[in-house]
Amino acid sequence: MTALLEVEGISVAREGKKILNRLSLKAEEGQITGVLGRNGAGKSSLAYAVMGLANYRPQEGRIRFRGREITDLSITDRAREGLTLAWQHPARYEGVSVRDYLRLSSKKAEEKDLAEALSLVLLDPRSYMDRMVDKTLSGGERKRIELASVYLMKPRLAILDEPDSGVDLLALGEIMQVFRLLAREGRGVLIITHREDVASQCDRSYLMCSGSVVLEGTAEAVKRYFLSQCEPCQEPAALEREGCSE
Amino acid sequence: MTAQEQMAALIEIAERTGAAHEAFRSDDAIYVVVHGNEILGAHQVPGVRIEATETDDGIDAAITVERGVVLPKPVNLCFGHLGKEGRQVIQSHIVIEDGAKAVFMAHCIFPNATLFLHAMEGTIEIGSGASFAYREVHVHSREGRIEVRPVSKVRVGPGSLYEGDFTLVEGRVGDLNLDFDVEAWGAKSRVEVTSKVYGKYDDTCKVRDVVRLTGEGSSALVKARVVLSDASRGLFLGMIDGAASGARGHLDCTEIVQGRAQAEASPVVKASHPEAEVTHEAAIGRIADDKIAGLMAKGLSEDESVDVIVSGLLR
Ligand SMILES: Nc1ncnc2c1ncn2[C@@H]1O[C@H](COP(=O)(O)OP(=O)(O)O)[C@@H](O)[C@H]1O
Ligand SMILES: [Mg+2]
Repeated sequence: MTALLEVEGISVAREGKKILNRLSLKAEEGQITGVLGRNGAGKSSLAYAVMGLANYRPQEGRIRFRGREITDLSITDRAREGLTLAWQHPARYEGVSVRDYLRLSSKKAEEKDLAEALSLVLLDPRSYMDRMVDKTLSGGERKRIELASVYLMKPRLAILDEPDSGVDLLALGEIMQVFRLLAREGRGVLIITHREDVASQCDRSYLMCSGSVVLEGTAEAVKRYFLSQCEPCQEPAALEREGCSE
Repeated sequence: MTAQEQMAALIEIAERTGAAHEAFRSDDAIYVVVHGNEILGAHQVPGVRIEATETDDGIDAAITVERGVVLPKPVNLCFGHLGKEGRQVIQSHIVIEDGAKAVFMAHCIFPNATLFLHAMEGTIEIGSGASFAYREVHVHSREGRIEVRPVSKVRVGPGSLYEGDFTLVEGRVGDLNLDFDVEAWGAKSRVEVTSKVYGKYDDTCKVRDVVRLTGEGSSALVKARVVLSDASRGLFLGMIDGAASGARGHLDCTEIVQGRAQAEASPVVKASHPEAEVTHEAAIGRIADDKIAGLMAKGLSEDESVDVIVSGLLR
């Protein structure tokens, strides 16, 4: 069976530096897949490459979505196929209210759907609906609104880049429920994180280091490996010495 | 066109671009409608004095909101011309007496003008403990180059608030040369000036907002939002001078350029009194890629994304 998302050996370079190196992974429908890695491992770059950002076009390899190659599609076309990304640092939009912003991701959503999405990310619709998605929101509020927007879009696959940053620990468990809800509806969720406690809530996980996947397995196994072994993984050479490259 | 038809046409556009439905109809409405140099209609209520006279190329209007009068609805001023060519010079003298509160909405409507001069020479005098908002919205044609020269001198008394909004985003700008000069001479007076301009084709947009904070503890926020597309050019000259003890000012300018447009901004912040504090932020450039990509990832096309960003900025 073909997976929902198949990333096959992609390499991406920025300013002459290889930041993704023949990376492969899969994400399945109805599952929460984790990508765990330390800062600088290339996790956000992977998200950008999958979403189709112009500066992150792979030099080699390909990306397939629902069995169809999307490597050359624009961001818009990928989104229309059902792929979306909740950015690590979502952009801010002056003069755009939360209500209008949420409506962008779902034209047929009614007021009560928007309110439900905000409540799911623990924001009170009464105080947030008319706020602006601009610099007056805190980082954590902005991230929650992004998650609400992704939820409303009902994507086939949601990539969430560090969804926990700026969200306090207590709220994290409840916010994970939102992704679980999406997965239960048969959607795929790809959570990118540097926190092993987030990764351990995923169904399956990948461990990323220096632009490559170094381990794939159950969330628990990846977490164990990450905690015990992965501290020194900074250069590909180090990986090879320790025998943890693919 | 009869005068009545002209009036109906101007009002219809004013309503489409921000005037309330009853703004030119209800018994308690306060308005003046001017086509070229003809006063087509006017209505006033006690507490507000409007004296308007027709001149060779426009009108001369003196409007006074009397002491302590609080107007529950905006005063609507419609200055326009439905023709292609001509000129209109509006001289206005607005006085907001002590303790009065009012909002004026000026609708400057030139839907067909291709070769036109529209000049406004205004003075606004705000007494003490008063509040006055002046919102000017322009509607221009898509073609032609109308020359727009709004010049305004505002003086704000003790404890009073002045809000000035200038919006020219519908149709093309033409050749705009805006010059607003505000002095907040009253202690604890407050000034908020916002200019929003959307330049297209080979429009030229020059916006000069100067606020002098000479009243103790006075404060100001000057905001400019300029979007320039095609081969238009924009220049924003903003200045706040903190010239009194405890004066606080902030100048905030964003100019977005698209196509071959060019933008320039020179925000000047000055603290000519040692106990004043004036800050500024200015951003000029193309729309950041991450803003566009963020919306495209929701399924919007690149053009739709730019539209959302631009209309938000100019809202
Ligand atoms: N635009 C860029 N130009 C050059 N190097 C970049 C660029 N973006 C990211 N990098 C580098 O690529 C590596 C991976 O970055 P990133 O994908 O943000 O990692 P992560 O999200 O795992 O923290 C880092 O070493 C980073 O410095
Ligand atoms: Mg990252």
